[in-house]
Amino acid sequence: MAVEIQKPRTGEPLTLKSLHTENPRWCVGCGDFGVVMAIKRFMVDRQLTAAQTVNVSGIGCSGRAPNYINTYGVHSIHGRPITVALGLALARPDLNVFIESGDGDALSIGGNHLIHGINKNFNCVFLLFDNELYALTKSQTSPTTRKGHKTNTQPTGTYLDPLNPILLVLGIGPSFVATTADWMPDHFVNTLHAAFDHNGFSFVHVTQRCPHFDENNFDHKTTSWFSFLKHPQGIAPDKRIVDKAEVVEHDPTDLQSAFKLAASPRRHFGLYYINPDKPRYDEILLNQVKNTLQKPRTKLLDYFLL
Amino acid sequence: MVPEQKKISRFELLMDAGYGAQKAGDILIRAFAKTGKYVYIEPMFPAEISPPPRTRPSMSGVIIRLADFDITNVGNNTDLMIAQHEIVLGRRLDDEEENPYCQILLDMEDQKDNPTTYEQVIKRVKDLGLSIIPFDLDDASKMLIRGLGGSGKNMFYIGMLTHIHNTSPQVVIDEIKLTFGKKLPQDVFDRNIKIFENGYHFAKEHVPLCYEVAGKLKNTERVLIDGNSSLSMGIIDAGIKLFSGYPITPASSIMHTLAKIFPSYGGMVHQAEDEIGAIGTAIGSYFGGVPAITCTSGPGLSLKQEFIGYAAVAEIPIIIVDVQRSGPSTGMPTKTEQSDLPAVIFGSHGDYTKIVISVSNVIDCFYAPQVARYLAEKLRLPVFIMSEFQTANSYKVIDKPKVTEMNKVEEIQDFVLERFHIQRLPDNIEMVRTNQAIPGTPGGTRRVTGLNTDQSGSVNYFSKASQRAHTVRNEKVHIVRRALTKPEMFGEQEGEVLVAGWGSSRGVIEEAISLCQAEGLKTGGIHFKIVYPLPLMLKEIFSKFKRIVTVEVAYGDEMKPSPLAMLLRAETLFDVRPILSKATGRPLTPRGILAKVKEIIE
Repeated sequence: MAVEIQKPRTGEPLTLKSLHTENPRWCVGCGDFGVVMAIKRFMVDRQLTAAQTVNVSGIGCSGRAPNYINTYGVHSIHGRPITVALGLALARPDLNVFIESGDGDALSIGGNHLIHGINKNFNCVFLLFDNELYALTKSQTSPTTRKGHKTNTQPTGTYLDPLNPILLVLGIGPSFVATTADWMPDHFVNTLHAAFDHNGFSFVHVTQRCPHFDENNFDHKTTSWFSFLKHPQGIAPDKRIVDKAEVVEHDPTDLQSAFKLAASPRRHFGLYYINPDKPRYDEILLNQVKNTLQKPRTKLLDYFLL
Repeated sequence: MVPEQKKISRFELLMDAGYGAQKAGDILIRAFAKTGKYVYIEPMFPAEISPPPRTRPSMSGVIIRLADFDITNVGNNTDLMIAQHEIVLGRRLDDEEENPYCQILLDMEDQKDNPTTYEQVIKRVKDLGLSIIPFDLDDASKMLIRGLGGSGKNMFYIGMLTHIHNTSPQVVIDEIKLTFGKKLPQDVFDRNIKIFENGYHFAKEHVPLCYEVAGKLKNTERVLIDGNSSLSMGIIDAGIKLFSGYPITPASSIMHTLAKIFPSYGGMVHQAEDEIGAIGTAIGSYFGGVPAITCTSGPGLSLKQEFIGYAAVAEIPIIIVDVQRSGPSTGMPTKTEQSDLPAVIFGSHGDYTKIVISVSNVIDCFYAPQVARYLAEKLRLPVFIMSEFQTANSYKVIDKPKVTEMNKVEEIQDFVLERFHIQRLPDNIEMVRTNQAIPGTPGGTRRVTGLNTDQSGSVNYFSKASQRAHTVRNEKVHIVRRALTKPEMFGEQEGEVLVAGWGSSRGVIEEAISLCQAEGLKTGGIHFKIVYPLPLMLKEIFSKFKRIVTVEVAYGDEMKPSPLAMLLRAETLFDVRPILSKATGRPLTPRGILAKVKEIIE
C-alpha cells in the first residue's frame, strides 16, 4: 500500500482519540470493535495522515466501519466497495485506501469485484470481515456459513459446505494474502503493517466473532483449533498467545504450500502468500498518462477535419 | 445526358455485412462534402459481426442524404437504392421508406442461382409502382472481384453512384486513396480503382439516371464526425479525466475512441468487470475530486440504477451517458429508440433526484459533457446525457465547433449553456451535508453514506432529518427548473397543433414544421434538450395551441402515452397525445409527421 511518501504532518499527532467519531452501533461482544481498534492502532503506530486516508465499505455490519474512523470514508452499496476504491486509487494515488467488506458483501453479492480487484492488483488494503453469516439482516446463511448451522433462511441447518475464501483468493492469482482474527490485536496490527507495506491489493481475511447470532463459532479463549504461520518474511505470531498455539513454518512465496495450508481443515493465521512483482493495474493506467506526450486540447477536433 | 438539378436527394446502398457498404458510404460522403454538398449519413448494420450472407439479418447499408442547404436529419423517403441482391432489397422494402418514384438498381449476379426469389422481389417492386433497373457487372469487373477473393464490389457501386450524382471521379478516387492507400498493396489498390472506374463507366452507358445537388457549402474548417466520436471529444474538452465503462452496443465506440487518445489529454480509460463496477469506479474518482464519466446503454443502465441513487444521496457528482437502443431487455442492439426516459427519471428506487440532458445532433454531443459536468458538480447529483443509436452513429459535416478547454466548471461559456436553454446556476446551493471536502483536505475528514444523514453527515433516522434531506435534494432540481429558459420552438407560437419532441427528433420536427407551414397549417414545434426537470413556462406555451402532440421513437398507443407524452401530461395536465410513437427501431421522418398533423387537423 505505502507507495507515496507520507506528507509532512502538521499540527497534532494522530491519536486513538482523534480517530474517534462516535460510539459504534454494534452488538456487545461484536468482533467489529476489534477490527476498528486494530485499524486505529495501526494508523497511530504509523502516524498516517487522517485526511490522506479513505476507508471504503459496502453494506452489512462491516459496512459501518468507516463511520467510526475519523478519516475520509465512503459507506457505499452492497458488494461494491472495491469498485469505488479503484476509482479513488486511479484518481488519487496519493491517498491511503482501506476497504472494509464482509463475507456476504465480498463473497456473495460482490464476488465479481473481488475477483477483478485481486486480479487488477490495485493498491489498497482489503479487509474481509468473515463472521460466517449475514448479521445486519438478522442471521441468514452466507457463502461461508458452516454446514448445519441454523439460520433464518435455512432453519434446519445450512445445507452446503462453506466456500473457502483463502483457496478462492489463492486461485485468483493474488499478490498478498494474510489472515488474522479480531481478538488478536498484536497479530492484527502486525498484519496491517505488512499489508500496508505491500504494493498492490493486500487481501486480509479476518476471522470475526458474531456472538449475537452464533456464539459457538469461534472459541477465542482456546488455541487448539488454529496455528500461526511463521517465516522471516512473514508476520510474527501474536505475542500474547504464541506460547499456547501451534506455530507452522511457511515460506510466503511458496504458492503450492499456501494452497495446501488453505485446503486443510485447520485454521492458520499469518502470511499465506506474497508476490511483490505482480503488475498493478492502477500503476499501468497512471504511467500511461505519465509517459504519453501531453497534447493541448486546442486541436482536439482536427482528427476529424475533412 | 444533362444532369437533373436537385435541391435534396436521398439514396441507399444495401449490401451483405462484411462487403464494405459502410466504407463505401464513408468514401462517398467525404467526396460529396468536399464538393460542397451538405451531407448526412445513417449507417444500418446487424447486431452480429458477420451473419451468413444472403440472409435478411445480414443486411448492412447506408442511407445518405444530400442537399444544397444544411440538413439536420436523415430525412424522408428514399429516391434511389442500389441493392447487392434480392434478399437485402426485400428486407429493406419492409421498412417502407421509399418514395413512390424511387428508382431501384438491383444487381442480378445472384439471379442465376435464385431465380424464384429474384422474380418475387421484382414483382413486389413493380406492384409497389416503383421503377426497377436490373444490372449486371461487366465480365472484367467480375474477374477482378474474383481475383480479390470476392471483395471490391462496393467499388463498383461507388463508381455507379459517382456517375449518377454527376461527381468528378477524381475527387472520389482521392478519398479511396485516403481510406485504403496505406493499408492495401499497390496492385490490390489499383485493381479496386479499376473496378471503381468500370462502375463509373457502366453507369454512364447503361443507367439512365444522372442528377446533381449543387455544392453551396462555404470553404470553412469543417469536420466529418459522428455522435459518439463527438461525445468522446466533448468528454476531453469538458476536462473529465476518467472514463469508466463496460462494453455495450451502441455505447462502446466512445470507449474505443477514448482508449486511443485519452492519455494524451491526461485521461484514463478503465474497462470495468461489469456495468456496476464501471459506475462505482467513476463515483470513487469523483469522490476523490477527479471528474469521471460512465457510458452505457439500456441493459447497462438497469444495472447501474442502485449506484445512481446512491450518488444522489451521498452527494457525489456523477455523469452517466445512455446511448439508447431499442428495448426492452436486450431488444434490438443496433436499432434506435427513445424509450429509456422513464428509466432515467424513475429508475432508481425511492425519491432520488437527477438531471436529464439530451442531445439532438453531433454538435450537442460535443458540448453536452460540459453542461453535464457543470450541473453534476454544482448540484452534486447524477446527471444523464441521453443519446440515441441514431445520433451516435450518424455522421454529418459541420463547421468545426469551438473548443473551450474547460478546467473548472465555473469556466463554462455562456454559448454552451444557451445551447441547452439553461442559465448559470446560483453560487451557493444548499447541500444535505455542510462539509463537502474532498479527501486530502486537512481538517475536512468526513464520511458519506447512502443512509439518511443530517447536516453534519451523521447517520440519522429521525423524521425531521429525512424530510429535510429530501427537501434539500429536491430544491437542487428546482433550482435547475427555475434556471431553464424557453425551449427551442419552430414555426407558429400559437395555432392548431404544437408538435413536441426531445433528443434526436429536433431536426425532424424543424423540417416537419416548415413542411406544415408550407401547406398553410397553423403548427408549431417544441424541442426539449433538458428533459428533466422541465421548464416552468410550459403551461403558458401549451395554452396557445388547440392540441399538443408528441413525436417519439418509443412505443405508445391510445391507452398508453409514450414516455414524453406521459411526462408532459403529468407536468402540465394538458391532454398531450403521441401522434407518432412507434417501436420500429427506425427514425422519425418529417413527412411522416406532416401526414399525421394533417390527419388530426382534418
